[in-house]
Amino acid sequence: MLRSRRTVLRGAGAVMALPWLESLQALAATPSASAFPKRFGVMFLGNGINEEHWNATGSGAAMKLSKTLEPLESLKHKINVIDGLFNKTSTGQGIHPAQTGSLLTGARISKGAIIHSGISVDQMIASRIGEDTPQSSIVLACDQPMTGYHETNFSMAYSSHISWQTPDSPVPIEIYPSLAFDNLFENRGSMRNISILDRVRDSAQDLTRRVSSTDKAKLDEYLMSVREVEKRVEAMRKTKDSAEDTAKGLNRPAFSMERPANGLPEDLRDHARLMCDIIAIAFQTDKTRVASLIISRDLSAMYYPFLEVKEGHHAASHNNASAGYERIARFHVSQFAYLAQKLDSMKEGDGTVLDHSCLMFLSNLWIGRAHDNSRLPLVLAGGLGGTLETGRTLSYLGQSAEKRRMCGLYLSLMDRFGVKLDQFGDAQERLALL
Amino acid sequence: MRLRVLVVTLTVSAFSASNPALERQFEQTVRPFVTKYCVGCHSGKAPAAALDLHTFASMDAVVREYPRWAAVHDRMAASEMPPKAAPQPPAADSRKVIAWIETLRADEIRKHAGDPGAVLARRLSNSEYNYTIRDLTGADLRPTREFPVDPANLAGFDNSGESLTMSPALLKKYLQAARSVGDHMVLTQDGIDFAPHPMLSETDRDKYPIQRIIRFYESQPIDFADYFQAAWRYKHRTTLGNPKTTLAAIAAESKISAKYLPTVWQLLEDPSQLVGPVAKLQAMWRALPNPAKPNPAKQDTLRADCVAMRNFVVRIRSHTSMQFAAPVVRGLPAGSQPLLNWKLRSFALHHRDSNHAALRNDTDPPEVEPTIPRYPGLHSEAAPRWAALRAKARMGDADLTVPAAQRKAYEASFSRFASVFPDTFYVRERGRFFPDDSQDKGRLLSAGNHSVMGFYRDDAPLMDLILSDKDRKHLDRLWEEFEYIADFTGRTFVQYFFNQSGEVQGKGAESATARPVNNEVTDTPVIYSLRDAYLAKAAADPKNDPIAAEAIRGHFEGINSILRRLEVSRVEAQPKQQEALLQFAARAFRRPLSKAERDDILGYYRKMREKDALPHEEAMRDSIVSILMSPHFLYRLDLIEATRSNAAARPLSGYALASRLSYFLWSSMPDAELLQHAAQGDLRRPEVLLAQTRRMLRDERMRDFATEFAGNWLGIRQFENFNSVDRERFPSFTNELRQAMFVEPIRFLQDLFTSNRSILDALYAKHTFVNSILAKHYGMPEVKTADWVRVDDADRYQRGGLLPMAVFLTNSSPGLRTSPVKRGYWVVHRVLDETIPPPPAVVPELPSDEAKSDMPLREVLAQHRANPVCASCHARFDAFGLVFEGYGPIGETRAKDLAGRPIDASAAFPDHTQGTGLEGIQKYIREHRQKDFQDGLSRKMIAYALNRSLQLSDEALVEGIGVRLKTNQNRAHTLIETIVTSPQFLQMRTPVSLAKSDIK
Repeated sequence: MLRSRRTVLRGAGAVMALPWLESLQALAATPSASAFPKRFGVMFLGNGINEEHWNATGSGAAMKLSKTLEPLESLKHKINVIDGLFNKTSTGQGIHPAQTGSLLTGARISKGAIIHSGISVDQMIASRIGEDTPQSSIVLACDQPMTGYHETNFSMAYSSHISWQTPDSPVPIEIYPSLAFDNLFENRGSMRNISILDRVRDSAQDLTRRVSSTDKAKLDEYLMSVREVEKRVEAMRKTKDSAEDTAKGLNRPAFSMERPANGLPEDLRDHARLMCDIIAIAFQTDKTRVASLIISRDLSAMYYPFLEVKEGHHAASHNNASAGYERIARFHVSQFAYLAQKLDSMKEGDGTVLDHSCLMFLSNLWIGRAHDNSRLPLVLAGGLGGTLETGRTLSYLGQSAEKRRMCGLYLSLMDRFGVKLDQFGDAQERLALL
Repeated sequence: MRLRVLVVTLTVSAFSASNPALERQFEQTVRPFVTKYCVGCHSGKAPAAALDLHTFASMDAVVREYPRWAAVHDRMAASEMPPKAAPQPPAADSRKVIAWIETLRADEIRKHAGDPGAVLARRLSNSEYNYTIRDLTGADLRPTREFPVDPANLAGFDNSGESLTMSPALLKKYLQAARSVGDHMVLTQDGIDFAPHPMLSETDRDKYPIQRIIRFYESQPIDFADYFQAAWRYKHRTTLGNPKTTLAAIAAESKISAKYLPTVWQLLEDPSQLVGPVAKLQAMWRALPNPAKPNPAKQDTLRADCVAMRNFVVRIRSHTSMQFAAPVVRGLPAGSQPLLNWKLRSFALHHRDSNHAALRNDTDPPEVEPTIPRYPGLHSEAAPRWAALRAKARMGDADLTVPAAQRKAYEASFSRFASVFPDTFYVRERGRFFPDDSQDKGRLLSAGNHSVMGFYRDDAPLMDLILSDKDRKHLDRLWEEFEYIADFTGRTFVQYFFNQSGEVQGKGAESATARPVNNEVTDTPVIYSLRDAYLAKAAADPKNDPIAAEAIRGHFEGINSILRRLEVSRVEAQPKQQEALLQFAARAFRRPLSKAERDDILGYYRKMREKDALPHEEAMRDSIVSILMSPHFLYRLDLIEATRSNAAARPLSGYALASRLSYFLWSSMPDAELLQHAAQGDLRRPEVLLAQTRRMLRDERMRDFATEFAGNWLGIRQFENFNSVDRERFPSFTNELRQAMFVEPIRFLQDLFTSNRSILDALYAKHTFVNSILAKHYGMPEVKTADWVRVDDADRYQRGGLLPMAVFLTNSSPGLRTSPVKRGYWVVHRVLDETIPPPPAVVPELPSDEAKSDMPLREVLAQHRANPVCASCHARFDAFGLVFEGYGPIGETRAKDLAGRPIDASAAFPDHTQGTGLEGIQKYIREHRQKDFQDGLSRKMIAYALNRSLQLSDEALVEGIGVRLKTNQNRAHTLIETIVTSPQFLQMRTPVSLAKSDIK
């Protein structure tokens, strides 16, 4: 099992990896298709969808999308709607937190005071490709995390997080758009390391003036190592900056965003949109290649007055066949469509950023009123640099449990990011047909 | 990028001096001899024994690589070189060369004895880094666990500048390591702590303080039986031969509360108690065995009787504990936080009260079994079900039935009883239907809210009855720090606001309030507007419980005051935390900071706050990282202080000496006491130095010394990852056994050095140390504890001392057979410090599996030795391995080899004497090679202590140690103390020049 060796910096809630970039020049200079980085994004909706309106049939232009999936109509040649997958370890342990805590990890989770899951698929990918960017991943949410106990005696932390950097700790989530933005665009991760290296270089230089020549040689080793590492960090930062400038200078579909205001947006629509914008711009400017976003967590109490639903999200999900809950699910899908379209509007080589990405939309439940997670709603968007055929509807319903594992899908996706594992969570086989 | 290759030149010091007579002899006698008789084999591309004698063009070169010439000397003196087959020099010429080598040695020793040698500045080794981080932070984080293995120097140790280098790749790893340590930082009101796990996510922030509080609770003496037993000892103190003792003294001996024991004593001896549970307990108390009148026919029942008393107390208190429900407010669920918390508060205030409603009059009608209500639904009141469960539990408890006429007196007794014996001392965990936790185990310190977080402190009986003032303060502090670190009141309020507070607007128990427009959720106006909404709800219906208003006020105003107080204390703590940062830096640098350094550290912090706009905690974290990346932490700079002096050597400063001592004996930073002596400037005084050394030798950190020294000396550094055993053939070889094997020599040597045993125990001891796994492997009696134990008669199982330890026998075995060659080589090379040249490039293969070989290994080897080319070396060590043939590939004792042939563990040693097995080799070493072992160990210890390879002049110290060992029963401390007080250890070379051109 691959282990995460990243050191993670926490800047007011966001996560940054030490950014070492050895191969960036190649990336910036040669825009051949394979040179564009692959990105991975996950968007999570808690408590399931309205199953009567979640359906897709056919492929390519002939693909037919049901009501909830309508927001994806214009993108249907770039998506895959996948039905029938499930996560074995998320079943049979009780409802809600136990159905969420292992969604992206496939691990068995613990009850009571001990918090323990596994490393999630997005963080596995981040630990492989995250070293090449200022932040290994960004982990965002519009919903406050909960850390109490559910009546199943599982911690609510399982309901509030989908990304796990170690089995013992979920990645802290950032809910403030302004802070997420700052952490991304002030290059804090690399700046902070440069600042530290600067400082130790000064102190070593000062020291070498005071020692004998043999000892000086030893300290020079150290000093040169510091300089070398510093140079790499600095070079990467500069290349990044100039990549951004170039993007602007070439008058590409100039996507830029202003820094969001401090505090939490009052309207969820604004909040969700800002978070999507941040992911989009982070992907475009290669600040990070991995993102996860929880718009509403499991057991969310979020309100949707603009959808004319009176109950909070979770309460509404107990009546998930209602028109109101369909509107909630559709709202979430429309956020996913918004992000996908945004990435698709960003030219990159002959394609778009979306073409080089894989976005995944999923929920922890299929039918909220029954807490049924024996199959999960799932949409993938983006061709992942030509490695993922799109415009398909794939159904695994009716196949044996071994053939329809979410973790099998994760294995297949991780392969494409160069993370080759024999096993992940409850799966040893890649998902067929993907 | 290539780093400059560092050339260590040992002759650049003022210690270098020539001896013309010896040099002349070298030119006129030695060199011609070597050219004529030696370089024919010992030169060229593949010099014999990898010894190229052609390269020794000057006497200086000989001095530099003296160990090779010592070998030349020994082989020539033994008439083994030149080999018989080669042209033989006249005996007189040989004698001249031998004499020259001896004179050179003596001359060097005389001239340079005590030369501190060139000790290079160096980074900490991986192990030193880990130990230092542990001692610096108090958390055993081992950040270098996955670093590349450190290379060793010529002496075989990984703690010298000769082999420890730095590279950009490694520096990146150090930066990551420093970051990971920084991730464990915890800011407290007083300064900085480090948690054993990263403190990045909110669940981590809860876990750390919760575990500290739980650990504190669980370490408290709250077993009533212990108090009864202690009171009994006091009562019978005269009979028990201790008439002058006191309750306090007995409490201390029994490790129970000196505060609570008198309380219990008074109750037991209170003459006014005539009825009820107190009277009954007193009767049990008086019936405890009387030591003045022992009853030989009866078993000692004291403990069992005290346990019975405790069980009586626990039963009574469990049946008479108070019960509470949340105040009823129409339209609010019972799980509503302000109401639920009132219920918890009521429980917390009444652990020492007795529920008189639980008592029956003897005139009452017979008891009727209560109906147990269903398990309550979410948010509903659990009190009725709990009351029914309690009623059922106490049915038939005759002690609760009281004479109606005496009810008052009985109630008084129950009250008195409860005031001394609380129904619980503290609440460790709580489910949502407290006190019924049957469904919700493990929610430590939880308030029992549904889904929303929340913690509730309930430990008044512990505070009031058990804890000393100091411990009370400590526990208060732990809770304050819990609040400070986890911010749990604020976070609970936010979670509650967004998930439950909608209940007050009638939207249901799991609904939110909309985000406030111009405020943070935790601002006072937001908190108070909710308070007012709840108060309005409570006032809306006259049937509501009037106490609800007080509960609501207390709840919200309590939250507000905690949050406002925290804001203040967070600001107030910052200067203290900055001061703690400076202290951290001073400890990390292992010396006081200069004024400029202090300003620099704080300046860096401020710059990050102001210029980089980092929050306080992040700026503190990066300050920690920058301190850990500083060369003053990462490097051992103590040995290179650059003051000028005319003398060739000069004394180390106190701080440098403190570091040298602690990295020698602990592989880690000096502790406060050492630094204190460094500051006082008296560490160099011999009596202080020796006292400190002895103190350090007794310290638990000597385990690390044993690990590092033995790991390198005996070649088992990598054994924890040893994977050459065929686990199908040897299923008993588990990871646990491997670990136990690795630890055995460490335990043995730690004990040898800590307890000041004879260093010869390493060879001849009849004892060893085992845990249960190793004992089983060795066929020793079962070890029933989880600890390591000393086995005094290990020789009965063919063990004792280092030689037959499984780790060495296994480490040298290539899987499915033993390797007498490797085992023998290990003994003569590692233990007896003999230099054996490397084998030639082409060596015949030995069978890989004993079971598939036609003849015993010993016979294969005997054939091998028949070849004179092989014999010249193998004759020197094969025998030392053949004697261990009674031990199989994983060091197990055996009578037959894997092919079923009986074992022959006899061998002919180099002097042709015969020996068999462990006893045989011990006897041979004792008679012929003991000095080799002693001197070898001394040399290794000197190299390890000085962080450099040895030079010829150190031989004087080796001899000095030998002399002192002889008069001190070979005590281990003599070895250490002689080194610690040697000029080599106490001094450093004065740098010849500070290269001016290097100063920019």
